[in-house]
Amino acid sequence: MAEVTADVRDEPAAEPTSNRFMRWLFAPVPLGRVAALRTLVYLFIVFDVLVYTETATNRVYVPTDLYVPLNVDEYLFPFIPDPSTAVVQICTWGLLILSPIAAIGIFPRLLGSAIFLLYFEWMLIFNSYGKVDHDRFAFLVALALLPTIGRARHGDSRLSEKAGWAFRVIQLSVIATYFLAAWAKFRFGGLEWLWGTSLTWAILRRGTEWSNWMLDHVWMIKTSQVGIIAFELFSPIIFFVNERIRPYIIGYFYLFHLFTWLAITISFAPHLVAMASFLALERFRPLHWAKRGLDRVTGRLRREPAPVTDAAG
Amino acid sequence: MDVGRLGRRVRVGFTIALAAAVFYGSLWGDDDDFPVGPFRMYSTSRELNEPVADTQLYAVNAAGQEFRFTEGYTGVRRAELEGQMEHFEADPSRLRFLAEAYSNHFPDRPPVTEIRLVIEWFEIRNGLPTGESTVEEVVSWQK
Repeated sequence: MAEVTADVRDEPAAEPTSNRFMRWLFAPVPLGRVAALRTLVYLFIVFDVLVYTETATNRVYVPTDLYVPLNVDEYLFPFIPDPSTAVVQICTWGLLILSPIAAIGIFPRLLGSAIFLLYFEWMLIFNSYGKVDHDRFAFLVALALLPTIGRARHGDSRLSEKAGWAFRVIQLSVIATYFLAAWAKFRFGGLEWLWGTSLTWAILRRGTEWSNWMLDHVWMIKTSQVGIIAFELFSPIIFFVNERIRPYIIGYFYLFHLFTWLAITISFAPHLVAMASFLALERFRPLHWAKRGLDRVTGRLRREPAPVTDAAG
Repeated sequence: MDVGRLGRRVRVGFTIALAAAVFYGSLWGDDDDFPVGPFRMYSTSRELNEPVADTQLYAVNAAGQEFRFTEGYTGVRRAELEGQMEHFEADPSRLRFLAEAYSNHFPDRPPVTEIRLVIEWFEIRNGLPTGESTVEEVVSWQK
């Protein structure tokens, strides 16, 4: 009788790259993280409309004759009206009313979609006067994708692939912002950007006491410029490092922006909010901790024995 | 929450489309292609001896007072003035819309009757500012 010997392989067959990629793209994250990012993003919009991007709201006073529409306006959405007073007011008030409600987490798909549309139009208004801002791509992606997840409650530890995909794409958008910014420098500035005076230009126009001293030290300017390009080009490395190191790299990114803000008063606030998609936000639960702390205190008060009265008294 | 077959396909399709749009924007597009335009923050290189421009607006109101016409008054940012410079140069009367914006925002103040758009050029030598600057009048408008 012939013996059938199994063909024992030493290693399991390698997983096809496409499978690995799909697993990575849809790597699930807990729903609690979704709730946390939603709260952060939608509350930020309130701050954005009232404070950070006040200029957009002031457009209500600016005649539409100064409006220079972008391609998206002209070719994709020709029915978008010029930013008359009414349009600006609708966007502003719509965002201010809907965002806090969405931050609580109710009607995430409906409110989230409405907010995305309003915010996008608001951005078109803001960016159609001769200058386009570049710190919102990842934030816009976050606004577009958060409504695709459905209901998510704070503290919910159930994993979701829908959420995983949305977060992954937001993360990719954050890194794309850095990586492609380096490309833009080479495309519009050429290699000379590295040893030119771009940073001098920026500091002269927007410098602070943190950066003005650098104007007298050209070598510091050049070193900083090389450092910036290196930082941007190497940013995708975050997807290849150990998950445990990732928060430290993100911390480093946040530090970079802190220094940029101190040096030339440019903050990338919407981008920084989107960058939180890399972090385990579900672990940060201030309201929950406060409630637990309060419970502990009141619980202790309730457990204290009542003063003993003399029953014979 | 698991994603079904269709959901997977739609999502992968969206991811690819977004990536394509953003790479197209960065390689061939421009600011007009917002939101997928190139990420050009401070992307132009400056020569070591090239002066730095600071675009400024000055306004004179009906009471004869002259003041710096800043973004808080006009609702328009400096970078936007620069982005629209060609339009202003081609038609200086376009500046009147800034006066209009000011009146809309501050109806109780005397209206602006004259606006000057100037550029202050800061001299740079070997990458260092010399402390000198010259002011260039670009366009002006009077009511």
